[in-house]
Amino acid sequence: MTTVQDQGLVSAPAATGTARRLGALGGLAYRYGLLAVLLGLLVVFSLARSRFHTWDNTLIILQSVSIVAVVALGVTVSMTVGGFDLSVGANVGFVVMVTAQVMVRYNLTGATAILAGLAAGLLVAAVNTLLIVVARVPDLVASLGTMFAFQGLALIITSGQSVSVGMDLGGGRVAPGRYDPDFLWFGTAKVLSIPVAVLVMIVIAAVVIVFLTYSRWGRALYAIGGNPVAARLAGIPVNRYRALAYVISGLCAACAGILLSARLGRGDVGAGDVYLLQAVAATLIGFAVLGANRPNPFGTLVGAVFLGVLINGLTMLNVPYYTQTFVQGALLVAALLLSYAVAPRSRRAS
Amino acid sequence: MTADVDAPALAVERLSKRYGPVEVLRGVSFDVARGEVVGLVGANGAGKSTLIKILSGAVAASAGQVRIAGAVTNPATVRQAARAGVQTVHQEIGAGVIPGATVAENLTLDSLAPGGALWRSRRRTRAAAREIAAAAGLGADLEAVLDRPIEELPTSERQQVVIARALSARPRLLVLDEPTATLSTRESERVLASVGRMAAAGVAVLYVSHRLAEIERICERVVVLRDGVVQRDVPAPFVARALAEAMLGGTLSTLRHEIRGGGSPVLEARGVRARPDGAPFDLVVRAGEVVGITGLVGSGQTELLEQLYGARRLLGGTLSLRGRPYAPQSPADAVRAGVGLVAESRAEQIVPTWSVRRHVTLPRVRAHSRFGLMDPRLERATARRTLGDFGVVGPGADAELGDLSGGNQQKVLVGRWFDGHSTLVLLDEPFRGVDVGARADIAAHLRERAHDIGLVVASSDPAEILQVADRVVVMADGGVSGELRADQMTTEELSRLLTTPARHSRTTDARENRRAFGLETT
Ligand SMILES: Nc1ncnc2c1ncn2[C@@H]1O[C@H](COP(=O)(O)OP(=O)(O)OP(=O)(O)O)[C@@H](O)[C@H]1O
Ligand SMILES: [Mg+2]
Repeated sequence: MTTVQDQGLVSAPAATGTARRLGALGGLAYRYGLLAVLLGLLVVFSLARSRFHTWDNTLIILQSVSIVAVVALGVTVSMTVGGFDLSVGANVGFVVMVTAQVMVRYNLTGATAILAGLAAGLLVAAVNTLLIVVARVPDLVASLGTMFAFQGLALIITSGQSVSVGMDLGGGRVAPGRYDPDFLWFGTAKVLSIPVAVLVMIVIAAVVIVFLTYSRWGRALYAIGGNPVAARLAGIPVNRYRALAYVISGLCAACAGILLSARLGRGDVGAGDVYLLQAVAATLIGFAVLGANRPNPFGTLVGAVFLGVLINGLTMLNVPYYTQTFVQGALLVAALLLSYAVAPRSRRAS
Repeated sequence: MTADVDAPALAVERLSKRYGPVEVLRGVSFDVARGEVVGLVGANGAGKSTLIKILSGAVAASAGQVRIAGAVTNPATVRQAARAGVQTVHQEIGAGVIPGATVAENLTLDSLAPGGALWRSRRRTRAAAREIAAAAGLGADLEAVLDRPIEELPTSERQQVVIARALSARPRLLVLDEPTATLSTRESERVLASVGRMAAAGVAVLYVSHRLAEIERICERVVVLRDGVVQRDVPAPFVARALAEAMLGGTLSTLRHEIRGGGSPVLEARGVRARPDGAPFDLVVRAGEVVGITGLVGSGQTELLEQLYGARRLLGGTLSLRGRPYAPQSPADAVRAGVGLVAESRAEQIVPTWSVRRHVTLPRVRAHSRFGLMDPRLERATARRTLGDFGVVGPGADAELGDLSGGNQQKVLVGRWFDGHSTLVLLDEPFRGVDVGARADIAAHLRERAHDIGLVVASSDPAEILQVADRVVVMADGGVSGELRADQMTTEELSRLLTTPARHSRTTDARENRRAFGLETT
């Protein structure tokens, strides 16, 4: 027979699950691990390259992540209701093509192009809503379908070609328009030495953070993501809010598409394709920020910046570009491990 | 450290548990002998479920130890506890089933654990499941649903699957945390009979329930827990009343409420049906009265309330609320019109990881926001008021709702509709898992609030209904078989109505009945 003392149970910590095993360390890693790694990276890169921690380079990093961040904020909103908008990349590409087409092919103003771009984003959102909310197709497959459809549609409206100034329309005709300088302002100009795209990102991020974290609509969206039945029984119009989430996601993608179009100054085929994975990665990395363990806009922003810092720093260190995807993937996996394996399990019995 | 035949099957020794600054268990000690059924009772939040989570390895104790058959076994994981011979049915049934898996798969889960056969055939799974169900006396009931996903089953059947599975593991110690809370009388009987059989076969049983009548019937000894301390440890026979007073630390009021007639109609339902095959009936709910609905499980109470709340399509008839047509297409419509529902299933109303405060204000986000932004101060004030009004004990408004004891979670879910914005509140089994003292408090509180709003309380336990209602509507087979004044409801009359099928015509006009009872003069 053993006594109480040698059972070592006398002062077991109160926490349970994995955190009990890892003790307080696990809890700290869970909350601050990702921010600590980001901070460490910043220090390492700064020590290795004095160019890294200059104001100019900071702006370069922020500019490089601005489009990804805006797309990712939309993905975050779609994930708060337990959904997943896979069509954002295709949406960005579609908006790029629509804006280019409006200005170059139809010779209309930049303002018209912006309106057309937003309308295009809303169209994607409408299709998603129709499929997911009305027809009850599961989110993932529905938005995958939308992704395909709009990648295709972007090709159809431009006959499969990139849209550039002076392009041949066939039959000896040449596209009459060009990119409106007012439109290009979004991609090239600076206000108080800060690129417009960065400012747009900051504004959209602020709006989404306030909306999701503090507004009553955000509360409802999170309730739906947490337990849709409970939300419904509490009188939340679940379908309306799910549609709202996809509309916000579509609008964010449209804004990103406009920024991208203005930066490129032309409509490139497949320009939006890279943004899906990057945005999803930023959102999922965001889960691990401050132990949120759920989609959260501040975390998403940190996630996007994290990806940008990593690429920028590695490039400065002359790490071959072809290893960058791997490094980003490893970062994502590490963040997922933090969110899922190190997170204190639900304290309820299982 | 080998098993000792003479040692008690379970010995709990000076067990303590603290959550942060709160000490939930304070040096609890008691034994359960082989073949003995010991009842564990206590008010909501006394620490019963916490003790059980420690026994089952789900939670670690802060101090003290657990011996199984004489050997110190402080189980660190659920599997360790199972290997030591402890099988537990937890209070939240969500904890015991795997959603997505079929009923047969859920019944045979233990053979899926390491050490089970590598390959499983559907046929063998089904055969094994049948055996397990039969051993628990459920054979015929589950046969038809063996291949259905478990989440399609009603709460009561799900609970029985969990119990059957625990029984099938041939435990040394069987721990049941409010196993009958969601069950009908007949289903409860089956569980009680199984417990008796297990005990006769030498299994030690620790049985938690708020139904003191059950404790009286099956327990040879009862341990009363109050504020984490063993208050009494007494052998049978015991008196339910004395137990209640020991667990509450005071006397239980036996005052019967005065029956009230009610004022102007709040809800008028004409020609509604609870089920497609049920007879249509009328139901009128007046301000100032509490209408109780009772009936055997499956007689259509839940279906009726869900229709009145817009959570289910209205099967027929018309509704009006305070004289105006009322046709809710969704719960959102109902809530906007001032109708609230406390649903039958607690798990379906809980958002994981959310605080008490957020749960309280979820139906009222608009009222708790300014310019669209949530106002945490206002929210906290409402949450605190609700906690106070309904006597919720626990870690407070900003704690996770899941950290409250089961009964206290229930009080929060009931209390959130009584914020002054409701016109009609529908309560489906609101006393589930609530201790006898709190039940009386809640009943009194509901009656106090009923003076200007309409209240409908459905329960399959007539005793609960009598405690709160002025008028009792008895349902059978999806229709209404009769209606009684609460103080005129006798056991004989009730059992007659419970089994009388509703006549297939518009038999019950509430007004006529009320006239017959002298509640209405014109
Ligand atoms: N994870 C936790 N963190 C903080 N407090 C907790 C936690 N879990 C339980 N408690 C508190 O411990 C106390 C005992 O809870 P427990 O669930 O054991 O009560 P109970 O006796 O089972 O009550 P009920 O009859 O309502 O089920 C409650 O006050 C509860 O709020
Ligand atoms: Mg409990």
